[in-house]
Amino acid sequence: MPLRQFTLDELAQYNGENGAAAYISFLGRVYDVSASFQWQNGKHQVVHKAGKDLSSELAEAPHGADLLARVRLIGELGTEG
Amino acid sequence: MAKVAREMVERAGVNLDQLVELLVKNASAELTTFYYYTILRVNLIGLEGEGIKEIAETARIEDRNHFEALVPRIYELGGNLPGDMKVFHDMSACPPAGLPTDPTNIKAMLAVLVEAERCAVRGYTHVCNLTAGKDHRTYDLSLAILNEEIEHESWFSEFLGEGPSGHFMRRGETSPFVSKFLR
Repeated sequence: MPLRQFTLDELAQYNGENGAAAYISFLGRVYDVSASFQWQNGKHQVVHKAGKDLSSELAEAPHGADLLARVRLIGELGTEG
Repeated sequence: MAKVAREMVERAGVNLDQLVELLVKNASAELTTFYYYTILRVNLIGLEGEGIKEIAETARIEDRNHFEALVPRIYELGGNLPGDMKVFHDMSACPPAGLPTDPTNIKAMLAVLVEAERCAVRGYTHVCNLTAGKDHRTYDLSLAILNEEIEHESWFSEFLGEGPSGHFMRRGETSPFVSKFLR
């Protein structure tokens, strides 16, 4: 099944707040972190928020991208808006 | 609240509300881990389990020490602990280190223990990164806790056969790094 395509605006709707699903993007891929303990209410370690492209933030995180294997890959982030 | 100490941290560019929230979440992780490790330790029995019991107990006591050491800093910075213990439990920075479905499966027990320690190592590295060169006291405290969490991780990791670390079990008192904050 082809992956769903997201724009940054669409991704922003999935911020985990008020019952919304929590999606994050890393290096062009979009992951559903709604079920992750570490992403409750769309926040991770207080400072990181869902609904965004976190490629640059993950580079400074105290863990690698390997932890993304624990969450579901659901789409790809397009280059438009 | 330590007014000037708080001002110094704020002027250094640290988001105090975020930092205090992080410290409270980590304090919750420490106290809840102390609780869950109590259950794990009780169930570490038999030929395999008894060998792990002592380090699980040391990690349990040191995690409680971490909670005790974090609380004064939270209040110094103007924060507080929730009045409701259930709220405090649910805001933990790390998932509950629950007893595996089969408590006789020692490998599963070790997986729970090492995963809890790895969460703590990441969490305190995060706090150190946020406070380095800005909030010296929180950095010093977080670094002391980090040193102990790294040793805990190594102990359990070695039992899983992931490779040597060169660490030994504690000789003498617990919390060699954090004890200065407990006096």
